[in-house]
Amino acid sequence: MKKAFILGCSLCFAVAAVAQRVEVRKSGEGTIGINLASYRTGGDAAAQTFLSTLKADLNRSGYFTVTSSGGELNVAGSCVSGGGNIKTDCQLYNVGTRQRLLGKSYNTTSADARGMAHKVADDIVFAATGQKGMASGKIAMVSSRTGRKELYICDMDGQNIRQITNDRSIVVGPRWSPDGKNIVYTSYKRGYPNVYLTGRGKPLSSHGGLNASGTISPDGNSLAVILSRDGNPELYIKSLRTGSLKRLTTTQRGVEASPCWSPDGNHIVYVSDSSGTPQIYIISKDGGSPQRLTSTGAENVAPDWGKNGYIAFCSRIGGRYRIVIANPVAKSLRVLETDWADYEDPSWAPDGRHIVCSRTAQYRSSIYLLDTLKDSPVALLTGSVDWFSPACSQ
Amino acid sequence: MIMKACKVLFLTFLAGSVVLVSGCRSKKASAEMYGSDNMMGGSIIDGDIPLNADNMGLPMDGDRSMFAPVYFAYDSSQVNPEEAGKVEAVATYLKKNKSGGVIVEGHGDERGSREYNLALGERRALAVRDYLINLGVNPANIQTKSYGEEQPEAMGHDEEAWRQNRRGVFAIY
Repeated sequence: MKKAFILGCSLCFAVAAVAQRVEVRKSGEGTIGINLASYRTGGDAAAQTFLSTLKADLNRSGYFTVTSSGGELNVAGSCVSGGGNIKTDCQLYNVGTRQRLLGKSYNTTSADARGMAHKVADDIVFAATGQKGMASGKIAMVSSRTGRKELYICDMDGQNIRQITNDRSIVVGPRWSPDGKNIVYTSYKRGYPNVYLTGRGKPLSSHGGLNASGTISPDGNSLAVILSRDGNPELYIKSLRTGSLKRLTTTQRGVEASPCWSPDGNHIVYVSDSSGTPQIYIISKDGGSPQRLTSTGAENVAPDWGKNGYIAFCSRIGGRYRIVIANPVAKSLRVLETDWADYEDPSWAPDGRHIVCSRTAQYRSSIYLLDTLKDSPVALLTGSVDWFSPACSQ
Repeated sequence: MIMKACKVLFLTFLAGSVVLVSGCRSKKASAEMYGSDNMMGGSIIDGDIPLNADNMGLPMDGDRSMFAPVYFAYDSSQVNPEEAGKVEAVATYLKKNKSGGVIVEGHGDERGSREYNLALGERRALAVRDYLINLGVNPANIQTKSYGEEQPEAMGHDEEAWRQNRRGVFAIY
């Protein structure tokens, strides 16, 4: 019952917000019908790209079903492009009350038609539900498609893939900086595993031994990082202003990995095998005694603390890796329904509803999107090369 | 044993760390040698020996053909008794060639979390380092580098491939 409750309550909240704002009926399978039949576009490629991207984003949001007849919500608008630019105006109406929920104009370069669609989609999600959308987010991940493990980014729909590093080395464990503009990652480009920030030549951390799993605090001032400089892999906080180090764990017989900050920046969730198996722990940023979050399972790894307060992590259950969502306050857990493949490295999407993760089947890794309210994995990035270690910008 | 403990204390002093050496526990070292997951030396040295402050400027690579890799059990960073001889051979070499050193590269198999495997690979490299230090090698001449599961030796996806990939490689510089 508790399990159903955890995310059930966020669904209730979303639906209640819809009811409050637009007094629409909940339709079909919990989605709201949204009609875009009267959205006018020219025949040009950029405008077509805009509209098809917008429709796909709205369907992917989980809140809507795009329709061309009926629907509780109606979107009226027009989109034209020319001279290398594209512009659109968009009005969102509650069909039942005739109330206008959104009226906004947008313009950008034609090359960024998809980016404009993502913005419009997120504005529609927010206007209709009061919830943050995810379409404007970015995914950082690693791929070996050049033969080396390089850093890539793409949009939340798996499109617009760009290669970020070309170090011909190994990239591990990317994470976004809190402003969503840069990525922290581990690379061997100067021989040893050091922590780097995109756009900055000098490493953030290059102590003797291991420097890994770097992640910047929400206020941007500190780096949580795994270092072995004192003779064993432990969790540290490094001040990005002074460079001073604070060691948080002392597990002479164990290793720590995968730190992630709480939304308020006061705690860190991480992996430790000090109990004999890798488990999830929470520790204050000031140190002290860690609290163990997971008490069952042989292997609980790769936690990601969402802005929604829930911690997603990866657990080996029945011989395969599955995604679990924990409420750290109630200490309740919910295992997401997935197929026989291995689902690993969960990262909360900016909407706090979806999770991006890797799915490995027949030794091939792809990037998948999970809707935590519907347990329905959707492929974002697949193909004949491996894509893994996804991290969503917030 | 007392000689060994003294040597460890001396080297520890050189490394600039403050550690406690327990004479009582050093007597039990051989009995505990393979029983502790903190492995060799864990029972002698009550504290870890720090690594170099910064890895920039350290030798980045070395000759991997000189010594055979050490293999590890699943999810373990313990140097097994049957593998200890390989570490001892490296120690003998390094004690004769004091101007050189070794990068101990820790590797894991493909199963499990990449980031956890990275930490576990480092723990393996450090376990080998601890043993080398116990055998009298200067800590300043031992670097550790974990590759986690990122550089498998065997490309297969079975027990045999995994066994070959859970290894510590000696790169001599």
